[in-house]
Amino acid sequence: MALSFKSIASFIATNQNKSTRWFSYLGLGIGVLLLLCSIQLFININALMKERNPKKANYDFISITKRITNENMGQDHSFSIADIEELKSQKFITDVTPLIANKFIVSATGGTTLPFTTDIFLEAIDNDFIDTIPASFTWKEGDNIVPIIVSSDYLELYNTVFAPSRGLPQISENTVGALMVQIECTGIYGTKIFRGNIVALSDRINSVLVPKKFLEWANRNIANMPSGNASRVYIKTTDANNVDFLNYLQSKNYQVNKDKTRFGRVKQVLQAIVSGLGVFAILVILLAMMLFSFYLQLMIARSKDNLQLLLTLGYSPGWLSKTVAKKWIPVYIIIILVAVILTVFFQYFFQQSFLSGRDDLSPIIHWSVLVVAAGLILLCIGINYRLIKRLLFKL
Amino acid sequence: MQIKINNIAPIFLEKEKIQRSQIWNQPIVFNKTEHIQLVAPSGSGKTSFIHFLYGMRKDFTGTIEIAGMPLKNISPENLSGLRSKNISIVFQDLRLFSEHTAFENIDVKRKLNPFYKEERIKEIATLLGIETKLNQAAKHCSYGEQQRIAIIRALQQPFDFIVLDEPFSHLDENNSKKAMLLIVEEAEKRNAGIILADLATVPFFNAHKNYQL
Repeated sequence: MALSFKSIASFIATNQNKSTRWFSYLGLGIGVLLLLCSIQLFININALMKERNPKKANYDFISITKRITNENMGQDHSFSIADIEELKSQKFITDVTPLIANKFIVSATGGTTLPFTTDIFLEAIDNDFIDTIPASFTWKEGDNIVPIIVSSDYLELYNTVFAPSRGLPQISENTVGALMVQIECTGIYGTKIFRGNIVALSDRINSVLVPKKFLEWANRNIANMPSGNASRVYIKTTDANNVDFLNYLQSKNYQVNKDKTRFGRVKQVLQAIVSGLGVFAILVILLAMMLFSFYLQLMIARSKDNLQLLLTLGYSPGWLSKTVAKKWIPVYIIIILVAVILTVFFQYFFQQSFLSGRDDLSPIIHWSVLVVAAGLILLCIGINYRLIKRLLFKL
Repeated sequence: MQIKINNIAPIFLEKEKIQRSQIWNQPIVFNKTEHIQLVAPSGSGKTSFIHFLYGMRKDFTGTIEIAGMPLKNISPENLSGLRSKNISIVFQDLRLFSEHTAFENIDVKRKLNPFYKEERIKEIATLLGIETKLNQAAKHCSYGEQQRIAIIRALQQPFDFIVLDEPFSHLDENNSKKAMLLIVEEAEKRNAGIILADLATVPFFNAHKNYQL
């Protein structure tokens, strides 16, 4: 008969302190179940939040500003070159561009078709960031016509609120391009008048955009000021709901359109809760392992005389450590397998009960949960072996 | 295989005793197949010497080499290898598992590195007159019976030397002779040496070398 644990089982007091042993098994099971469920929940949250956030051309474009509070009112809130470079260097940001604003007074007049005058503002941005960019959106010095791209929200507001109240005609998206407005720019070098032509509507950028070349020229030649630092920058990112991205913006105290990042914020909170659950699970596992180590220490202390005699008779401490440790391998495997089976069941139940008929969440657990479970089995076996070896070599 | 003893002396023993000894501070070699008898009065370090040979204590000066391995630096794994393959022992204080039966005490040694099948335990026990005690807890056996259990246990493994520390102290002459005969027979089967330490010369042990400790 080959030498096995059975040959020496009666010399080791494994049946002592049963309650400690069973409590440690229960603790380990609960801890592992919590950890596996929290990992699966984390993955579920990511999957569900991603699906609900349709992207434009695979990128999100978000405008950010520096937050103005009661404490910092009146201070400079523009983005320096260093600020923009730092934004560009973040791995979750694909590109960054500042929005240049006018440094002079601008007013627009609709002429005879649209008899009203209003002060407006102009902004300019890199063409790459504009979603609708016709070929006519260019300007060179000497041109009297300035192409304009207006937010489609403005047209909606004009048609639904402004035009009815002033008795002005409503304008369709198709006819807006035929309108010419007079743009009056007044600065220290006097007043210059241009003809503005709305060449496109933008769903992305909430502003009145003119070609960058025009605005830089006008700031210099009408207001005698460089375009300077921007107060608003646009960010191009693959996922506006990326938690790292949102954490970064929060840490820098940058203000962002909350609606665009709503799912990201919910995700942030849910992920924090689930991460907390994961940390709690790890603590439970550690406590269970400690309880089990007390049981092992007690077992070895109670069997000390017998173990010492076995070593004196020629049993090797290495063999004894391995053999005693091996006794608990099936126990660890069973506990963790039960936790995996329960996680599979919970995931299936969750998917079927709450998200039945939707294919954005798999009823099967993620492979990483299985990897973590396998890792936990190896970790438990390794810790157990090292502990027993340390205790036996001390004898 | 040889046991090479080079000028060893217990660090705790009086100088006078060390100077008088034929073992302490002497270069000695024990060869396989030799029968060696050490005679020593109480307190001269006899049991300490046996423990030094078995690698249980290191509080001595000098060196002991067994199969070329210096015992002072031997790893726990190599030491257990020596104990299960090369050197068997009968302790003066017997060292039995008191809660376990005589059979379990013997079999736990046999299973480690079996020289015999399980049936041989009963044969030897019968030879030494303790076959009826095999299923009795060691703590319920007399000293004489316990001593025979310890002797039978030592004969369950292969060895190059068997070391005996006052092995017949609780046995009558008849049982002592039977046990000695058995030990010599078993040593011959293994082509092994015997190192016997006792308070006085054991008359029925045919020693090739005698040392006064």
